[in-house]
Amino acid sequence: MADDTPLLEIDDLEKHFEQSTNILDLLLRREPSKIQAVDGVSFTLETNDSIAVIGESGCGKTTLLLTLIGLHDITGGDVVYKGTPMSDFDDADWKEYRSNVQVIFQDPFNSLDPKMTVEESLKEPLKIHDVGNRDERVYQVLEDVELRPPEQYLHRKPMNLSGGEKQRVAIGRALVLEPDIILADEPVSMLDVSTQASVLRMLKDLIDDYDASMIYISHDLSTVSYISETVNVMYLGRIVESAPTEWILDDPKHPYSEALVSAIPIPDPHHDRARTEMSGAPRDPIDLGEGCRFRDRCPKVIPPDGIDVDQEAYREVMAFREALERDDLPLERIRKELDDPGDQEAFAAAIRGEYFSGEMTGENATTVDAALDDVADGDLDAAADRLRDRFESVCENTPLSVEAEADWHVACHQYYDHDRRTKEDHAITTD
Amino acid sequence: MSRPLLEIEDLTIRYETDGGDLTAVSNASFSVDEGEFFGLAGESGSGKSTTAKAIIGGLDDNGWIDGGTIRYRGEEIQDFTDKELNEKLRWKEVSWIPQSSMNSLDPLQRVSEQALEIGRVHTDLSNEAIREKLKEMFDVVGLQQSRIDDYPHQFSGGMQQRAIIALALFLEPSLVIADEPTTALDVIMQDQIFKYLDRMKDDAEISLLLITHDISVIFESCDSVAIMHASQIAERGSTTAVHDNPRHPYAFMFKEAFPDIREPSRDLEVIEGYPPELIGEVSSCSFTDRCPWAVEECHQSAPPLEPVGDDDATHAASCFRSDEAYELYERYGATDPSAEVEAEQGGN
Repeated sequence: MADDTPLLEIDDLEKHFEQSTNILDLLLRREPSKIQAVDGVSFTLETNDSIAVIGESGCGKTTLLLTLIGLHDITGGDVVYKGTPMSDFDDADWKEYRSNVQVIFQDPFNSLDPKMTVEESLKEPLKIHDVGNRDERVYQVLEDVELRPPEQYLHRKPMNLSGGEKQRVAIGRALVLEPDIILADEPVSMLDVSTQASVLRMLKDLIDDYDASMIYISHDLSTVSYISETVNVMYLGRIVESAPTEWILDDPKHPYSEALVSAIPIPDPHHDRARTEMSGAPRDPIDLGEGCRFRDRCPKVIPPDGIDVDQEAYREVMAFREALERDDLPLERIRKELDDPGDQEAFAAAIRGEYFSGEMTGENATTVDAALDDVADGDLDAAADRLRDRFESVCENTPLSVEAEADWHVACHQYYDHDRRTKEDHAITTD
Repeated sequence: MSRPLLEIEDLTIRYETDGGDLTAVSNASFSVDEGEFFGLAGESGSGKSTTAKAIIGGLDDNGWIDGGTIRYRGEEIQDFTDKELNEKLRWKEVSWIPQSSMNSLDPLQRVSEQALEIGRVHTDLSNEAIREKLKEMFDVVGLQQSRIDDYPHQFSGGMQQRAIIALALFLEPSLVIADEPTTALDVIMQDQIFKYLDRMKDDAEISLLLITHDISVIFESCDSVAIMHASQIAERGSTTAVHDNPRHPYAFMFKEAFPDIREPSRDLEVIEGYPPELIGEVSSCSFTDRCPWAVEECHQSAPPLEPVGDDDATHAASCFRSDEAYELYERYGATDPSAEVEAEQGGN
């Protein structure tokens, strides 16, 4: 493009779903809870870029993709395509966008119509967008996706193709309109290893040949370096780290990226990798509120100044506070398991047993004990207040995405100087 | 860990299909020792899952063992009836972790009820003892003991998979057969589960037969490995021997097809072509059509699985060119220089 307008700008994009409500919620006029699937995601795709979005299942990466192709309405922020925001698109803009932005789905076994021949599948987008020279284009694209000679493939149906061949057809179908942007959702994860590499390599070459750009979505960090120069690591709806792929693989900065990279198996019996220290799974993205989304599992969650506390013990306090404030403590069950359900002291001890393993000392121990007594007495608010007063972490403010090093953005409080910012500055920004 | 627990010898398994009798496993031999973690690797259709199913008598109705033996603690079990398998083997000696946990738990029964049913059929334990054992195992796999009375839908996917693992382990079997136990899970969850399996290996000396396409997991977590291609075992041995000194072209090309984040820009190997569908007797190496080093001999007979003669006595490969293939690969890549010379001479 002649001017500086980026190809695609994703600007503080937000996609929240409302959880289904029942009649009681309606009668009581309860606010429906929000599922924050995508929550303030920003990045820019330039021409010929290949950007990856990596995260575990449930992190919002597929919602992001479906929002980008217009299958979900945006609930906040915007997507700007060649300078025009999606919120201002008219019918003609949508038609142009849909012809220029194509998707490759994960499962080639289900994304091709079983009743259509390869030729019909490839011609369909050409017909819809009224493009001429169809025979020639279909022939060329089959050559490009290495289904050669094309005559042999034109009249086959998906059942007569192997998994790798099907995914090549799906890639061909995405390319046949010569789009600007390809959105690829785990395009090789269903394929056997022996074909994965060749499909990845072909996809990358074709993106260059067709002068297109790509957003590559995957849970698999180990193959990303073959397809994207830049990676965004996503956790519970937000991008926590963004940097050149090899940098993140080599030296991840965000504690979540670190956990993700260190859990990747190394194919070498001589290499002694430590198993993950992480326990549990990400929580549901419902009513997440303020703060870093990883703080309940983060091994590096930051204690307040001036309290002397062991990191492991502090993490336990934070996990307990999290459950307490979200009203997730299994109090009824714990009480039922007591020999004498009326014994308050035993009740407090049982709750402690469930959440705390380590020893705490001094003022920290006194505070936790008092809070456990509050909980046993049923005064959850008092317990929450008491713990917050002593243990509130800076991680309970949403971390800014800051440039920790050139081209290396991290959304973690470890990477900025809190003395030079006011609390208000911690609110989410879109730099 | 030296006594063999499970010995598979010359095992051949066929399925009756419309196109004829399909050979899924052809003359496979390997053994799993007590306390050993053994990985059975291969791509889809290699016969690895069929092998595992045959061990516990779980072949589909159209499949049968057409030759060879399966011995468990020295006793031949390939002809066991369902009743014998239930009484002697299943759950308390050999248990099974299936690939998709989502479909393996009964959604209408509490996990504890499913454990009681298994316990009643396969042991004489009292209900209370069974519940205690399940609780202990929940603790090991990182689930709260109190949740044994939950229904499957009350667990997340990762937790369901751990509940399955607890069910597979709570009767303290000697051998656990796991078919892609972590393939549907994210890497962090996968690592958590292997952490528990490691612990079981140390604490209870279980053996594991791990079936997976993911050679990284095997190299990292198993003591020995067998790599299968289209019904045949291409190579087997200790993971270090197969990693350091691979002999079968499929074994080393398969290994090189895997990414290693320590070398993010290394070229990944591509194995051209697809495994053949084998109807009737297999009378050639099943990798011939995909192998850059194939010679006439490879088409004419199936190479036997023979010891390669290094320090590891279990290390064996079934390739006529096993003594030179890897060297050629390291020197010239995945092309056979002698074949090119011959082709040129033929052209002149």
